[in-house]
Amino acid sequence: MSRYKKLIDEANKEHLRSITRRHFLMDCVTGLGAAALGSFLAGCGSSGAGSAIPNAVAADPMAPKAPHFPGKAKSVIYLHMAGAPSQLELFDYKPALQRLHNQLCPPSLLEGKKFAFIRGVPKMLGPQAVFKQHGASGAWISDHLPHFTAMADEVSFLKAVQTDQFNHGPAQLLMQTGSARLGRPSIGSWVTYGLGTENSNLPGFVVLTSGGKTPDAGKSIWGSGFLPSVYQGVQCRTKGDPVLFLSDPEGMDRDLRKASIDAINRINEEEYTAYGDPETLARISQYELAYKMQIAVPEVMNIQNEPDYIHEMYGTQPGKESFANNCLLARKLVEKGVRFVQLYDWGWDSHGTDENLAIDYGFRNKCREIDRPITALLQDLKQRGLLDETLVVWGGEFGRTPMQENRDGKEMPFLGRDHHVEAFTIWMAGAGIKKGFTWGETDEIGYAAVKGKVAINDIHATILQQLGFDHEKLTYQFQGRPFRLTDTGGKVITPILA
Amino acid sequence: MNLCIALVAGNIIAACNSTRKPDFSTEVKPILNKHCISCHGGVKQSGGFSVLFREEALGVTKSGKPAIIPGHPERSEFIRRLTCKDPKERMPQKGEPLTQQEIQILTDWVKSGAEWGEHWAYVPPKAAPVPDQDHAIDYFINEKLEAEGLKAAAPADKMTLLRRVSLDLTGLPPTPEMAKQFAADNSPKAYEQIVDKLLQSPQFGERWASMWLDLARYSDSKGYERDNGRQIWRYRDWVIDAFNRDLPYDSFAIEQLAGDLLPNPTQAQLIATAFNRNTMSNDEGGTQDEEFRTAAVMDRVSTTMDVFQGVTIACVQCHSHPYDPFRFEDYYKLLAFLNNTRDEDTHMEHPKLRLYDSVSNEQVKHITNWVSANGNATQQQDVKEFLTVLEPKRHAHDCDQYINGALADTKYLGIRSGGSCRLPKQELTGKTRFLMNYWSGKPGGVMEIRLDSLSGKTLVTHQLAVTKGRLAINIPIPATTGVHDLYFIFRNPALPKEASVCGVEWFAFREELPGKGAPGYDNIAAKFMEVVNMQPEEVPVMVENPPSMYRPTHIFERGNWMVTGAEVKPDVPHSLNPFPANAPRNRLGLALWLTSDQNPLTARVMVNRLWEQLFGIGIVETLEDFGTQGFTPSHPKLLDYLAYNFMHRYKWHIKPLLREMVLSAAYQRSSVNTPELQEKDPANRLLARGPHFRLTAETVRDQALSVSGLLNANMHGPSIMPYQPENIWQSVWSGEYWKKAEDGNQYRRAVYVYQKRTSPYPSMVTFDGSSREVCLQRRIRTNTPLQALVTLNDPVYVETAVALAKQMHTQSKDPAACIRWGYERAMFKPIPETKLKVLLTLYNKALNTYRDNPAAACKLLQCSADTPEAPSAAALATVANALMNLDEFLTKS
Repeated sequence: MSRYKKLIDEANKEHLRSITRRHFLMDCVTGLGAAALGSFLAGCGSSGAGSAIPNAVAADPMAPKAPHFPGKAKSVIYLHMAGAPSQLELFDYKPALQRLHNQLCPPSLLEGKKFAFIRGVPKMLGPQAVFKQHGASGAWISDHLPHFTAMADEVSFLKAVQTDQFNHGPAQLLMQTGSARLGRPSIGSWVTYGLGTENSNLPGFVVLTSGGKTPDAGKSIWGSGFLPSVYQGVQCRTKGDPVLFLSDPEGMDRDLRKASIDAINRINEEEYTAYGDPETLARISQYELAYKMQIAVPEVMNIQNEPDYIHEMYGTQPGKESFANNCLLARKLVEKGVRFVQLYDWGWDSHGTDENLAIDYGFRNKCREIDRPITALLQDLKQRGLLDETLVVWGGEFGRTPMQENRDGKEMPFLGRDHHVEAFTIWMAGAGIKKGFTWGETDEIGYAAVKGKVAINDIHATILQQLGFDHEKLTYQFQGRPFRLTDTGGKVITPILA
Repeated sequence: MNLCIALVAGNIIAACNSTRKPDFSTEVKPILNKHCISCHGGVKQSGGFSVLFREEALGVTKSGKPAIIPGHPERSEFIRRLTCKDPKERMPQKGEPLTQQEIQILTDWVKSGAEWGEHWAYVPPKAAPVPDQDHAIDYFINEKLEAEGLKAAAPADKMTLLRRVSLDLTGLPPTPEMAKQFAADNSPKAYEQIVDKLLQSPQFGERWASMWLDLARYSDSKGYERDNGRQIWRYRDWVIDAFNRDLPYDSFAIEQLAGDLLPNPTQAQLIATAFNRNTMSNDEGGTQDEEFRTAAVMDRVSTTMDVFQGVTIACVQCHSHPYDPFRFEDYYKLLAFLNNTRDEDTHMEHPKLRLYDSVSNEQVKHITNWVSANGNATQQQDVKEFLTVLEPKRHAHDCDQYINGALADTKYLGIRSGGSCRLPKQELTGKTRFLMNYWSGKPGGVMEIRLDSLSGKTLVTHQLAVTKGRLAINIPIPATTGVHDLYFIFRNPALPKEASVCGVEWFAFREELPGKGAPGYDNIAAKFMEVVNMQPEEVPVMVENPPSMYRPTHIFERGNWMVTGAEVKPDVPHSLNPFPANAPRNRLGLALWLTSDQNPLTARVMVNRLWEQLFGIGIVETLEDFGTQGFTPSHPKLLDYLAYNFMHRYKWHIKPLLREMVLSAAYQRSSVNTPELQEKDPANRLLARGPHFRLTAETVRDQALSVSGLLNANMHGPSIMPYQPENIWQSVWSGEYWKKAEDGNQYRRAVYVYQKRTSPYPSMVTFDGSSREVCLQRRIRTNTPLQALVTLNDPVYVETAVALAKQMHTQSKDPAACIRWGYERAMFKPIPETKLKVLLTLYNKALNTYRDNPAAACKLLQCSADTPEAPSAAALATVANALMNLDEFLTKS
């Protein structure tokens, strides 16, 4: 590294400057006056049109950067249950819904509403779980999550989250990028853009998937949109190479690989001297980083050496692709300084179309798969003193209806609930979030939010707030206007802040 | 820095001393768009003030007074608000204040009368006088360089230029023979001749098709959740061939948008229409075909405007364009052109062009000859169309009112014994033949069709024979007139309660073949059904609805397809050129409008795409946005010159246009950068130096294959699956899997690599390739460690390194000579001694390593353990792997 440090610094500086200029030039007539003005402003620092982040100028794009104010969180672990779990079987206890079970849905709940699959008049579906209050906070948690009940006094529940997208793809995009359309940076990209990473040997933004499938919205939900691609999420796999093509070719040892990267970079240095293209310097630094990732990634992705009690706690099985393994990996990654760890677990779309998607069968199994891991993750972070600086978010892309799904107006073979946008539950924990607290309330059947309503961009604003950002000021100039994660909305959910 | 301050100050002073009239579209409009229009424009008009149109800007605002008084900036509230100190009053209210320079431009503009101008891109390009037709490009480039006081770089050295132009025109480095010949040719025409040779090479089409396929969102899979395979590679081959035969761009556009509507279209012209069948289709259970058909048609509207007009129209599906002169209705009027096709998001992807083999074709001819001899023109056309694309027909999903039955898996009719369904609104006048595609495994099934109600008159009763797979049957039905609802009742008492009587995919109601009663008729009728039941290769194509199946188009309120508003007729946005007189109001008319020489955008947008491929950056950097939010062109006159000549001088031919570009001095310059240029023009917008940027995903692969000698140059055919790591495809519902290509097919060019939307080929996406879900107009080049991992470690690239090393190994006993040869094979010029030294050191280290561990050498080379030369070969492979990772190798210089 040291050999190239100067060159790399120069490369990063150039890269940043070229980005800055590009975006300045966007709005100007092309010409040297404009270009010169761009460099002039970049030189002035944070208040110029070119730079939205204080102290960002002349730094490695992934180097740690100071946020707007000291944040409580250093890292984020976001647990996204793709498919959208039912709040009515987990946290939002509605005895009144039980009393209405099997009765026809009143027309007032259907008029002017659209559902993904419900047609005609469905029946109401009572909670398919047994609820009890837990902890000093008395939070209602169902018997689907027996381990997690012990966490009742660690988390803040948001019970009146609302979205406006009732199909998975767009709703997942909205939840993860702030827009239902393709092309915006994901939360993790914004965060690494704003804060950089504390371990340059690992990607700053790591994505782990489980449940046998990538989320419906595809890989775009961890894309960097219009931000430079260094900020996109890197998917780490638990089978095969953790990052594609991470292993050296068979028959080439580490020493030789080191020697060959040195040779490549030495020649590239000469190439830079000859051609003067800053991209060449960037390439030198990327080859250095690739070499370091080859060592650091397998190390951190290996859970074999974790002690037995940890495996017991999470329910991990090394070598398997599982949500439990991913939770343990998430802890290891934030411990190593990874800024944003995004988990996707697929299989939560409990329509009742088959056994695995039945609210009283497959859903219960999915809950079992996550119960120990999410509990262990919070406990493990806590025992390592990491929970205070790690923000953990759990939730889906929308909620489920209090009505039983009647796809195509027919009786379904299994019990299921349709997609529901008006109210669902998300919880947050750690990093300055109140412990044992509930914010927001739904009506007595869990259909509509009545108090403490929270919009998706409020969640984004709160995540950024905990990281030390004013969400209205973390911006990026694109197509003639400053874009931000919270777009034109977003309010920090102050009641849940400790 | 001093220079900058001087420049800035200079601008302001210059502005203060004069009453300059700023150019509206390049100076004023960008400021309005950036700072004002989001609150005072197409979406919102705060304070009753809008700057979208002049009459709005000068109109009376909520305050009761106009905000802009032309000629009087000092009396205009609009100007006062920009400079006032009170943050409550100062505009923009939420953003940073405008710069002095911006305020000055707006002040001058109001002073000079606040006149509006049309956005440059919406005015057709005009012929521009140039002193020398042969050096026109350089005339425009040099004009700007002189104005900015920059000196152009010297020409690139000969072999660097050869590599550059070969990579650009064919996507491949030159062959060693070509390089040798060119090196020896000192005639002044040598470069021109090599350019002509490259333009004629069949690889030309493959390279430029790669660019087009991103725009056409070409993919070998259907997309969405299940993402099953789709056989549409013949479209990809059509694009390759179209570039190779230099099909003029207007025809290229017309055939893709409306080849089927041309008189007597050829098979190739029908395949071309697959352009708009590259939309995604959804096989997920529970989804409504109509919803995803609508999504596909809306994609066609956006893609057509994106590809040919370079304007963003997708936002107009919900509201008028916030910045550009496109109104909400314009979107749906465009949609009306594209909404009248037969495709309906069915699982089988009808309609599909049937590609009969020569024997079957004889049979088809036999039938059509009969129809020509015995029938009228309409009948000829009708029979021909049915045998070509099996249309018009109706799909099972048109049925409703199911009793004891359903649309099974939302795809096929599955009615249980005694059950029924309705096929609404079928025109029966003249239709005396009923065709149905069905399958049944159990004998005893009966189908009954009743008219207008379940208890209505029986049209026909038919015994359903057991089939082997799917079968189309042809049943006579009594002559009936008018449009009727048809009720289908299925019975088979022998079946268990839950079993369907049969499966049904489609129905067709047809006229009798002409010539009934004539000798040979029965034979022809039988042949007709034989052909219908053939299973030839098929390609999804566009087919227009017959008049009886016309689809009216409605506005969707706020873009929601469930809430329809007023009906609209096909029309084009009035802010662009008028619809051509006498052109039909269908897709063909739309294509003619786009390719009219009065269209201000089509030629500019394409010329700019081609330019960007060569120079790395468009004259308009935002290839995807020529609207007022896009970048202004770096060389407006050059863009218009090229666009005008593309249409009028080259008659839309692409090859001569590219030829002119690569023969320019600007293209042939050395790409050596200087600190001065880096400071003044970091992105090389002014082209004082030659292009220098990383190769595309496709070229990274193709170059490695070419240089290693592994490249299989075979053209065309089904897509191939080269090596990819396991567990990449996670299509749990589809059952399809990645089957590694063999027999040299794994070494074919990137354009033939299988494209799966939800799981793109990893090394391609890592180098910024598109996932092809929607039209991608511009790839943003990135530089990441993951790219290094691909070219260092991906077994595909290790294999190419080993192959190159094997060639190097045979050159000499002297490793230095081998490395010299290898470098020259890759870079087409001799290796500098300093670089040779570095690589020799690497070689020696590797040789020591592999001598100590010959087994490792054999692993790298994948050779048998007793190969005596393995250590030296493996050491060369290590060097070759490094060579193929050099910046200069991955860069077009």
